[in-house]
Amino acid sequence: MTTTTIAVTPARLRWTGVWHATLLPILLVIVWQVWALTLPENSAAPSPVKVMHAFFELVANGGLISATVQSLGRVLVGFAFALVVGVSLGALMGSNPTVRHNLDPLIESFRPIAPMALLPMAILWFGTGTAPSLFIVAYAAFFPMLVNTVHAVSRVDRKLVMAGMTMGIPRAKILVRIILPAALPGVLLGARLAMGVAWTAIIAAELAVGAKSGAGQSGGIGQMMFVFYAYSIDLNNIVVCMIVVGLVALAIDKIFRFAEFRFMPWRHK
Amino acid sequence: MNNAPDKATPLAGDASLVMSLGEAEPGPSTPANAAVPRNAVRWTHRRWFLALRSFAVFIGLWYLLYLWNGNPIQLPSPFRVAMAIWQLGLSGELFEHALISTTRLVIALLVATLLAVPLGFLMGRNRTADSIIDPVVELLRPISGIAWIPLGLFIFGVGDVLPVFIMVYVAFFPLLLNTVAGVRNVDQKLVNAASTMGIHGWPLTRQVIVPGALPTIMVGFRLAFAGAWAAVIAAELIGAPSGLGFAIEWYRQLLMSPKVFAFIVLIGIVGYLCDLALRALQHKLTPWAEGTGLS
Repeated sequence: MTTTTIAVTPARLRWTGVWHATLLPILLVIVWQVWALTLPENSAAPSPVKVMHAFFELVANGGLISATVQSLGRVLVGFAFALVVGVSLGALMGSNPTVRHNLDPLIESFRPIAPMALLPMAILWFGTGTAPSLFIVAYAAFFPMLVNTVHAVSRVDRKLVMAGMTMGIPRAKILVRIILPAALPGVLLGARLAMGVAWTAIIAAELAVGAKSGAGQSGGIGQMMFVFYAYSIDLNNIVVCMIVVGLVALAIDKIFRFAEFRFMPWRHK
Repeated sequence: MNNAPDKATPLAGDASLVMSLGEAEPGPSTPANAAVPRNAVRWTHRRWFLALRSFAVFIGLWYLLYLWNGNPIQLPSPFRVAMAIWQLGLSGELFEHALISTTRLVIALLVATLLAVPLGFLMGRNRTADSIIDPVVELLRPISGIAWIPLGLFIFGVGDVLPVFIMVYVAFFPLLLNTVAGVRNVDQKLVNAASTMGIHGWPLTRQVIVPGALPTIMVGFRLAFAGAWAAVIAAELIGAPSGLGFAIEWYRQLLMSPKVFAFIVLIGIVGYLCDLALRALQHKLTPWAEGTGLS
């Protein structure tokens, strides 16, 4: 049934798709705006129009962009930590059962501890600036990185490794030239998951550092949201921040999917 | 080159290598006859031994770090933490907060299931519904639950509703997406066969689609739990007067680090036990999914 439709009227079908895709979002925004118009003029409730204004204002005064860049910078540093430690430890655990069996109990015990649970201690250890957020991000991103690397490395086709060994390739070279490329899909998947988790974690960490250490000096978009909540109760600005958080998450996901596509075109038809 | 067999061993037992995902029981490859049970027992003992040894080393390192650091507020000794766990356990405070958090968790997961699973069935079975609802889902999904905390604080205030709201939001998306995927991936031949035999509507859903989609839904449920559990700690830490997340922050402010650590340990244990329970539920509900990568 669908095949004939596609064959006969591709254009019409495409417009139906666009219509379907935009229908509900537009409807919801209209309902939201109408609801906001029924409220008294000085109401704090956000409305689409006010959010748009707030967005342009925050972009114009530079605060939003610098906060986002600051958060992104933290995420990248924390993620880099997790990447280096997670991939090297994961490669070791994935290729060496003794190491894996000894470390697994510890890894599996720490994995269910929510990253945010460590934040109070992180504040005691590192103060209220950038460092505790970095710690939380690195901790959060470490586990998806590690688990996926271990899984990927341990599933590398043994025949490839044996072929390499038969040809007398040194061990280190086997790791770099055979095991890591073969494990790359899993490692990249881990990186994408880890980056998603890291972005969530930085928002949580900045929010909580802001909430628990009082004044807002540590910066970042999470902190910015908390300041808007606690000091000026500006909900439009909070909604702007939420949207930016979503956009950044979307962009991160797209970039990593693109990387997966570039590095492993055979995985996508 | 002459130690080549040595190199072969690291990657030898392929079957035992998925352990870190906790999915497959990693028995060493045993000759497949009478020797199996005894070997399995020995393997279990060995795993316990390894786990205990790893923990002993970990606690030893922790103690050394404690001695070196010399600030019991920053890093309490492991024995003080053990005592704190014991005291908080005796006074019941440990269980009180754990119960509050898990109750919120259960309520949130129930609400999320009631919302996401029917919607997922609708979207999985009906292309038009999917093409209308999916864009909104994809617009909201990237906004993490954590980012809703400030707005949620304003709407609901500090209390029980905020953590539940955040958890429902976080749990909703994996549940919905997995339900849609599960329903859509039900073997079309089975659906056609049932239709040929005159089975439609509710019986078709109950007898064919639900069993076909349930393994994927259960995976979504476990993902939903994992996300919700991480989020509730954040939500309670910022905006609740009780619960595990509140407790760690409360004792941090009192600078009672052993108790902070006690609650951190408890968060790990409760998280682990819940996952264990969900896995057991999964095996019980969908025994037919064993070994398909969805168990």
